[in-house]
Amino acid sequence: MKINTALAQGLVRCHSCGCLGKRDIRLTKCPLCASPLHGRQPHSVQKTLAYLLSAYLLYIPANIFPIMTVTKLGAGEPHTIIGGIIALINSDMLPIALLVLVASILVPLLKLIGISLLLLYVQRGWTGDAYRWTVMYRIISFVGRWSMLDIFMISILVALVDMGSISEVLAGPAATAFGAVVVLTMLAAKSFDPRLIWDNQNKP
Amino acid sequence: MNNFNDPLEAEEATLNKKTELPLIWLLPVIAFLVSGWLVYKAVSEKGPEITIDFPTAEGLEVDKTKIKYLDVEIGNVTAIAINEDQKTIRVSARLNRDAENYLKENTRFWVVKPQVGLAGVSGLGTLLSGAYIAIKPGAGNLQQHFIGLPAAPLLKTNNDGTQFILETEDLASLHDGTPINFHGINAGEVISHKLNGQGNAIQLTVFVNAPFDKFVRKHSRFWIDSGIDLSAGADGVKVRTGPLISLLGGGIAFHASDTDTLTDIQPENSVFKLYETYEKSTQVIYSNPLKYVMFFTGSLRGLTEGAPVQMRGITIGKVVEIGLEIDEKNNDIRTPVVVELEMARIKQIHRRHNLSDTAILQQLIGQGLRAQLQTGSLLTGQLLVDLAFHVQGKFPPTPNINSTGYPEFPTTPSTLDEFSQSSQAIMAKIAKLPLQELTEQANQTLQGLQSTAKATSKMLDTANNTLGTADKTFHSAQKVLGTFEPGSTRHYELDKLIQELTESAKSVKQLTDFLEQHPDALLRGKKQEESP
Repeated sequence: MKINTALAQGLVRCHSCGCLGKRDIRLTKCPLCASPLHGRQPHSVQKTLAYLLSAYLLYIPANIFPIMTVTKLGAGEPHTIIGGIIALINSDMLPIALLVLVASILVPLLKLIGISLLLLYVQRGWTGDAYRWTVMYRIISFVGRWSMLDIFMISILVALVDMGSISEVLAGPAATAFGAVVVLTMLAAKSFDPRLIWDNQNKP
Repeated sequence: MNNFNDPLEAEEATLNKKTELPLIWLLPVIAFLVSGWLVYKAVSEKGPEITIDFPTAEGLEVDKTKIKYLDVEIGNVTAIAINEDQKTIRVSARLNRDAENYLKENTRFWVVKPQVGLAGVSGLGTLLSGAYIAIKPGAGNLQQHFIGLPAAPLLKTNNDGTQFILETEDLASLHDGTPINFHGINAGEVISHKLNGQGNAIQLTVFVNAPFDKFVRKHSRFWIDSGIDLSAGADGVKVRTGPLISLLGGGIAFHASDTDTLTDIQPENSVFKLYETYEKSTQVIYSNPLKYVMFFTGSLRGLTEGAPVQMRGITIGKVVEIGLEIDEKNNDIRTPVVVELEMARIKQIHRRHNLSDTAILQQLIGQGLRAQLQTGSLLTGQLLVDLAFHVQGKFPPTPNINSTGYPEFPTTPSTLDEFSQSSQAIMAKIAKLPLQELTEQANQTLQGLQSTAKATSKMLDTANNTLGTADKTFHSAQKVLGTFEPGSTRHYELDKLIQELTESAKSVKQLTDFLEQHPDALLRGKKQEESP
């Protein structure tokens, strides 16, 4: 299937103001807002890859270190993400456990895997169902901000539960790493140019 | 449309590939460094894993229970399991890397729980936070497995000081942790107690803190300083109390002797005797007491072991043993009383060096020194042994070999015995009196008295009759008198008579008066009244 992309038709759209212009070797700036013009997001794959790698690297400490320490009556108890989920299951709070599992483990993990697959798709020149891949990209970029549930909860708890040795919540090193993972995956998703999926279709 | 060969796109593509963007690749490097550093830190902080055996896991929780040294967290419990012997539990714990140095052979672990006792409240913080395992680092080889203490050691840190051993016969109110006072300053405490090898005394291990251990010297005395010591003497009532905490929980005190110098400071683990009271600790101990056996006649009731042996009221020894023995040859029952005489208590003047204490005593015995039981207290009936000169002459020792093996000290019956003996003699004399004859004579006398009484009776009868006659006489007299009652003729007549008599008496009086004035009238007769 041949996809008639705008670029293929010699059209370039400005990333900043959306002005559509005829593509020309001399035309490197948007005639309207003077932003640099690019046919595709520049270095999209490299950037995405770099963000993705960083996210992968930080995903490890995010899961093996305690994300928060709940101090109840002087006894501090550090929790990892997984440990927290297990504790929730043990205390018969299965729905919340599932919610935390989805928001804190599955979503970031699936996002990482999804972006990796998208990169592979683009780099390997796969020509699978481009519509489905685009839908996947849309989901990934939409879901990005919603996996900050843990960080959100911790930041509220740290502020609210601060009663000295009676009860206290402290963020652990994993919280930072986890937040970084979420931000990096969002950046990775943003730096990925979905039009590359369609460019693939026209390559032999 | 087919724009595949669009030259612009090709150009664009080459442009894309040409431009390197190294800056973005810093991000994964930073991410790698951060997570790598985090992991490295976690791994490097992980110290040795140790196991500790405890009698019970009370208060211990996996992952929650901490191991602390001086309240600094140095590790936490990772697992709790029951040992194979099924009597103890094994706690696995992971310590920090820098805690490795603490894990020596003599390192002690114990569980800190809230405790409320006489000596105070401890571990209150654990009420909220739960128990934790405390550690006291020790010396020795590195070790991974430890036996936990059932209770906290008394010395939680390595204080400067010296350990001593106190020997006592009765633990009484003493316990581990009992404070030791030096002039009222808390100077240490009892660490542990155990029976000695023979099982007849208790050895207390005590720890005296640094500045005070210098005062534990050769002649230092330790005594139990608990409770109130009330004593009444000739100089009034004295009350001695230890510190308040000792009143409640018992205490030990010690003092240094004036005679000791710095060179007499005792080394570690020196053994001292623990005296029961302050008074006992102040008594002088004399070495080499002479032992004698005494055979008293009569009962030894009231004589106890430890009773004083006195000479002129001054204690020079004590009773150490009271026995009862029978000589099967002649069924003679004797009561050997073994005494210790501390001759050093007697100051010697003009000392003759060639004479031993025994020889001196032997001389004194020759001069009549005898032992006698005396009542020490009339109230309690306690007896004491008094040494005094009673008789002159030689002392023949009891021919039988006495069972005690000590030389015999002659005795003399006690004053009580003497009294009972003399009263017995009196009774014997009374028994010898001719009571039969006496009573017969008395009988006869009484019979004589009886006949006399009879005669008297007769006499009384006669007297009775006489009295009857007298009675009659009185009656007639009364009758006569009755006739003179007022209103009767006799009475009237009598009255009249009396009046007449009165008048006569008046006339006589007038006559006599007249005669007094005119005595001549008797001769000349009454003159006629002169006319005016």
